[in-house]
Amino acid sequence: MSQSNTPYWPIFPSAIALAGIMVFIFASFGPPASSSGFVTALKGFFLEVAPGYVESKAHYRMMPGPGSWLMAFVLGMAMGGFIAGRSFRGPVSDLPQTWVKCYGPSRPKRFLTTFVGGFLILFGARLAGGCTLGLFLSGATQLSISGLYFGVVIFAVAMITARIVYKNRSQNHD
Amino acid sequence: MTEVWIGLFSGIAFGFVIQRVGATNPQKMVLAHLMKERYIPQFMLLVVIFSSIGLFALEASGGGTTRVLPTSLIATGLGGVIFGVGWGLTGYCPGTCWAAVGEGRMDAIFALLGGLFGTATFAHLHEVLIPALYMPTNYGQLTLTDVFGHPGVALGFLVLFLGIGVLLIGRLWGRQT
Repeated sequence: MSQSNTPYWPIFPSAIALAGIMVFIFASFGPPASSSGFVTALKGFFLEVAPGYVESKAHYRMMPGPGSWLMAFVLGMAMGGFIAGRSFRGPVSDLPQTWVKCYGPSRPKRFLTTFVGGFLILFGARLAGGCTLGLFLSGATQLSISGLYFGVVIFAVAMITARIVYKNRSQNHD
Repeated sequence: MTEVWIGLFSGIAFGFVIQRVGATNPQKMVLAHLMKERYIPQFMLLVVIFSSIGLFALEASGGGTTRVLPTSLIATGLGGVIFGVGWGLTGYCPGTCWAAVGEGRMDAIFALLGGLFGTATFAHLHEVLIPALYMPTNYGQLTLTDVFGHPGVALGFLVLFLGIGVLLIGRLWGRQT
């Protein structure tokens, strides 16, 4: 059922590998999370420029600062992505092809969109208490209702959003 | 210090695997959201199936640290809606954008910067938003075990439910790229 995810790995063994990593994390640390890593990174930044501000804000008080598992984990993710990307035979593009088909090859347009999208993703994740990893993947692994509820909502809304964003995908703008 | 090294090792392994399966590629995510490609959503559900079985075994042998996040009808749902709009717009989520930055995707760098702004904005408003949106409909750390009464039955339900999801995605999602 998973033979043709080329040039990427087939999903079945990859899922077993990632689940193994997840279980290792549960055994060695606790539930894995990545949107919390953004809070940790910012806490480190604000501790340098405005320590009083960090003390006054509950959202920073409840998260560990840099020098923690969380900070190391998200930096490790970037390093893992770097190693995997450098040793990958497929091309790495700055813009998704479907995006180019709809909105043309303008980089500023795409970068502004991902900036706004990134803002929404993290604002929503912090409101819900976690992200795809911290709330859905590790939450559902722990049989939590919040993880399954969040997973259903994000999939449904993302599918509707993608339909609206890429509605005129038959047209070419190049 | 050991914790930092374990975190770094876990992150590298995690980032490597999600790049290799294509989850850091926003084009694949867009195709998944448009129901044109089944791989990433199926992959995500399979990960939960295997890791929930693995965690069950780990806990049965006395190991593992868990922390179930509470279910807040409004905050979890509204957060999910805002998140879903951003996810559909960019094809990145908080974890994949770190790995995609490492991979060298320029648009991921902007998603990461936007994410830092989004986090800072929420953190600034935490004292207003959490009491207003999170606490009133907070039902606590609900799990399927609370629903089914027995952890084994709950795990069986989850595996069956997600297994049906994997099959349905295979049926309904097209396979052209």
